[in-house]
Amino acid sequence: MRKKKIIVKNIYKSFKDKVVLNKLNLDVYKSESLSIIGESGSGKSILTRCIVGLLKYDNGSISFGNLNNINTLNDKEKMNYMSKFGILFQNSALLDSLNIKENLKFSSKQDSFNKILNEVGLPNSILEKYPSELSVGMQKRVGLARAILKKPEVLILDEPTTGLDPIIARQINLLIKNLVKKNKITTITVTHDMESVYEFADYVAFLKNGIIEWYGEARKINKSRNSSMINFIKGID
Amino acid sequence: MTRLLSSALALTKRLFKIIFSFFCSIGEIVDFFLNCVKYSITEKFYVNIFLKQFLKIGFNSLPVVGLTSIFTGMVLALQSYTGFSRFSAESAIPNVVVLSITRELAPVLAGLMVAGRSGAAIAAEIGTMKVTEQIDALKTLSTNPFNYLIIPRIFAGIISLPLLVIVGDIIGVMGGYLICVNLLNFNPTVYLQNTYNFVQFIDVFSGLVKASVFGFLITFMGCYHGFNAKGGAQGVGQSTTYSVVSSSILILLMNYIITSFFFRL
Repeated sequence: MRKKKIIVKNIYKSFKDKVVLNKLNLDVYKSESLSIIGESGSGKSILTRCIVGLLKYDNGSISFGNLNNINTLNDKEKMNYMSKFGILFQNSALLDSLNIKENLKFSSKQDSFNKILNEVGLPNSILEKYPSELSVGMQKRVGLARAILKKPEVLILDEPTTGLDPIIARQINLLIKNLVKKNKITTITVTHDMESVYEFADYVAFLKNGIIEWYGEARKINKSRNSSMINFIKGID
Repeated sequence: MTRLLSSALALTKRLFKIIFSFFCSIGEIVDFFLNCVKYSITEKFYVNIFLKQFLKIGFNSLPVVGLTSIFTGMVLALQSYTGFSRFSAESAIPNVVVLSITRELAPVLAGLMVAGRSGAAIAAEIGTMKVTEQIDALKTLSTNPFNYLIIPRIFAGIISLPLLVIVGDIIGVMGGYLICVNLLNFNPTVYLQNTYNFVQFIDVFSGLVKASVFGFLITFMGCYHGFNAKGGAQGVGQSTTYSVVSSSILILLMNYIITSFFFRL
């Protein structure tokens, strides 16, 4: 029996004259991995930012557990709400004035990070290094470690493989798959990379013109008759 | 006639748009300030970050403020001599130097120097954090960016600028002393005695009040423009420029307001 974790209902978001999300509906289920795909500028990242509470939507509602409309939360409640999410940002967003250990301390006050570093395949020696001293792939791994270290209820992955070469991208995909499946974390992944979708998505939502144009199981994605999505998968404009 | 009317209409529309956006900016600045006040009262104060920023803004600005002050004191002594020697009032040079330095030049020049140095650095740092989503990351890591980034910097600015100005006062007066004693053949003891006897508490105090206000303006404008940076590298560059320009103008404006306030006392 699937249990709803997040309910996005009729949300509308525009920037000046440009409508980004047009009365969009989407349900995210507990312990499932949902991938949101779509062309650049289709509003995928805006949608996740609205879900996390980093951005206010103009209309509609997003419910999370007992919280009915996260737009109405006050500062303290919003902070509390955001702490339920672990986010891997597109460019990792590690605080570059702090070393890796200090970055990880934001998620957990513990002194030893051996276990988590081991899980994401990084040596302990990087703890004293600064983000600028690491490769992009390593930064992604640290970002992932920081996201899962706080044991989030929902993990958000924003373009986890963007900017990586195919080999590192594959490694990151496998790493995410292991972590997500092992810990059964509810995951929302925003991606362009179909490899990520095939690797660890249970469900897929295809976003176009501000609405979800196709939603279904990841294994059925190639059987879809939605021409826009087929073109997107094949890389045809 | 219709063409003239439509162009007048377009001009009025544009004017209203400019006025509207000006008031919007004022509103945003006030909102930012109120948030700073609110979070500084209600939430955690990061002492470590404050001390780090205190060193960055205060201690690291010592060389630039020191150099500015010493040369200003030296020039002031030379220029005063040029004028005062024309009516045999050379003995007033120590008084003019100490008064100008403590009341006016040390705080304003230190303020402008720190605005160029630290204000720009603050805007660039926070702006980069904004466009690379580091501030969003902080929010999701249960850390209020106002308490972590903004408030420690503002307090560091308010406290470190007066200390810098005290050092600037001493170095500036010494600059005048060096010129008067070594070049204009003043008696060193008499020079220092004149300076000491002439300067009053209010002279130094008014300079320190100015410095505190300037420290607030520099860090506040740096944080505000950095926090509202948009786009990529260009947006960060723009926020840095806005920060330096706005804080410099506000320093000069507030300098007049504070001076006229102390003038009435």
